Amino acid sequence: MTDVLDVASLDADGRRALERLILTLADSKRLLGIRYSDWLLGAPSIETGIATSSMAQDEWGHARLVYAMLKDLDIDPVTVEHDRSPEEYASVGALDAEMPDWAALVAAMVLVDGALTTALASFAEGTLESARGRVPKMLAEEEFHASLGAAWYRRLAESGGDARRLLVEATEAMLPDVLAWLGADDAPARAMVDAGVIGPADELVSAFRDRVRDVVALADIDVDGTTASTGWDEARGRTPGHPDEHAVERVRGDKNRALFVE
Amino acid sequence: MLEKVYDVFARKDRGDQLVHIGYVDAMDDETAKVHAWTTYDEERWFEMCVVERTAIVPVNRDDGPFAKARRAADHD
Repeated sequence: MTDVLDVASLDADGRRALERLILTLADSKRLLGIRYSDWLLGAPSIETGIATSSMAQDEWGHARLVYAMLKDLDIDPVTVEHDRSPEEYASVGALDAEMPDWAALVAAMVLVDGALTTALASFAEGTLESARGRVPKMLAEEEFHASLGAAWYRRLAESGGDARRLLVEATEAMLPDVLAWLGADDAPARAMVDAGVIGPADELVSAFRDRVRDVVALADIDVDGTTASTGWDEARGRTPGHPDEHAVERVRGDKNRALFVE
Repeated sequence: MLEKVYDVFARKDRGDQLVHIGYVDAMDDETAKVHAWTTYDEERWFEMCVVERTAIVPVNRDDGPFAKARRAADHD
């Protein structure tokens, strides 16, 4: 068993690095839940809509659990969840805009959800005690997301025509951002590797490529030949940009703020 | 790729009988598992199984949905 991290022993840079890691994971989960929720009523079948609804709930539940890890750093997660501007979000860039069609959502299931699961699998095996305890159940629930994503990816890729074209376009648009996010290898990322909180970037990217290689090959996309986006915001641990204002208003619950009772 | 009908069976506790609780449409076994688990989530099931309807062998009737599914599969 790997030693447990004593969070109190982290210096200021280490604390900021852990905060950033938690936010990149939690914000991505929260935004992915929003993007899934947009398709509850627009999915191709009733069963698929119900599955998408369930996945949205999963992602929001996972986000809540990951945000709560900020308490390890004596940071109030309620403020973080409800009071930040879009420019402060650390979610993966591929989630910045709403998914224009079902094919894009399927690509997000495979790529974004797949990258998050890859990162969380490593996080669960690291030294942060709260991650060890909370993440394994998330990973079990993610198995259903992966199954649905892969099945739909196959179906759209093999159907040809517009469905396949949209799938290819969405995959090509998302993949570089996902690779940049997962492959973060700057000072804060390396600090977390040194502390044993998560695995090194090359291991994460390699595991992700293994995970999606055969799936995206169905659309003739070579994950090994795709390079990460350039441009990097070290403070947030993501590529430049931010999620759209409307999505963040929904994430924060602005519309019903008067009823906020937490 | 046409969707197929899968029947869903589940039991709440270890000692319970596995009972038929409904059906889902799905592309394949993997999607059927996802659809069944997310559609029939009103209970904390101890065990859930899906079976493609065409795999069910009717015993005493040839006019029900299971027999019709079987006949249609035999003609494919």
